[in-house]
Amino acid sequence: MLRRSFLKFGLAGLAAPNLILRSAQATGQTQPGNPFIVTYFEVPDIKGSRDVTDAGDGTIWVCGQRNGVLGRFDPRTSQTKVIPLGDGAAPHGVVRGPDGAAWVTEGGQNAIARIDDKTHKVELFKLPEGRERANLNTPVFDKAGMLWFTGQNGIVGRLDPKSGKMDIFDAPRGAGPYGMTRTPSGEIWFASLAGNYIARINTQSGAFTVVDPPTEGQGARRVWSDSKNRIWVSEWNSGQVSSFDTESGSWKGWKLPGHKPRTYSVYVDDADKVWLTDFALNSIVRFDPLTEEFNSFPSDKPGANVRQMDGRTGEAWGGESGTNRLVRIQTVKPA
Amino acid sequence: MFKACQSCHSLDPAQAGMAGPHLAKLGGRVLGSAEGFDYSPAFRAAKARGLAWDRERLLSYLADPDAVAPGGWMSPPAGVSAADRAAVTDYLLGR
Repeated sequence: MLRRSFLKFGLAGLAAPNLILRSAQATGQTQPGNPFIVTYFEVPDIKGSRDVTDAGDGTIWVCGQRNGVLGRFDPRTSQTKVIPLGDGAAPHGVVRGPDGAAWVTEGGQNAIARIDDKTHKVELFKLPEGRERANLNTPVFDKAGMLWFTGQNGIVGRLDPKSGKMDIFDAPRGAGPYGMTRTPSGEIWFASLAGNYIARINTQSGAFTVVDPPTEGQGARRVWSDSKNRIWVSEWNSGQVSSFDTESGSWKGWKLPGHKPRTYSVYVDDADKVWLTDFALNSIVRFDPLTEEFNSFPSDKPGANVRQMDGRTGEAWGGESGTNRLVRIQTVKPA
Repeated sequence: MFKACQSCHSLDPAQAGMAGPHLAKLGGRVLGSAEGFDYSPAFRAAKARGLAWDRERLLSYLADPDAVAPGGWMSPPAGVSAADRAAVTDYLLGR
């Protein structure tokens, strides 16, 4: 376990690019004026540690995309339970279902995998014939308990976990569907990286409503809703984070700090703070929509490549897919 | 099979705004050298070493990108068999 601190960028920081090159100092504890504690956990049995989510009992589910496993990591003990998902498995995304199980977009077997949280038994729901190599990406449950998922090769899917019935819909503009989210109001939205749009799905009919972000060719990669039904979008090509207000239909956008940022992922915590990852700076970046201030948390190892984040109250988590580690950033409440 | 790559890559050098670089005339091309594309440090390092795409390197890369360019930005292609990788490799290097 290794702890370190962070860099802060206000508007002055944005105007002074040399600030970006400063290295953060490793710390073992909180420092005055630093409300964050960054902790790295080695998970060597999880190769290509990718998407993560809270398992609900203090542990964290993590996808091992390079060695075809799902991990269950306990930060209290630093122990990892490794669950093989099958021959050729390459899990991408994971979400905790209403039943408490982990539900995984298992691209290697072109299936949705259910991993029981008690027995760790693996059950596969394969995509239908004619939908091979869907390149499965992100799963999300709607309020009725149906599992929705994206496939980068141009599909959006719906699985009824009770009956096992699966429906596949062709996405607008073909290849590209990537991140997916549910708003508090119950809407399901996804981003299309190649299609350069976000879209809402009618969960009854499977029809799509496409919304184009203001920046052309922005590369909308991942999406996450805040508590006010605003969709936050990580824009890979433009290096921006943008937000779409589903109630007013208005957009806002901000460029990340640094030279040619590459905004890969977005996660919004339960305090409506926005957590991003920037591959150009090899950093996790926190954005406060109220102050419009960025905090940057550069990894202490090159090529960390955090491709997704999730969390729970006071903790943001990510998988460093390039280092086989997990990273946790705790936000410390003022005394 | 190339359809599996098209969510990030184009065969048209003039098509801008893709998540990954174009893959036209890949055979013999130095890694990280598609004009105008903003590469990862891993590919910039490979370019500095003068590494070029050939059949063996491309097959290895498609099986495990990190094995060829550690810390690169591309994820491993999912659900793709060895035969699929060979077909894509031959297709891309033959163009």
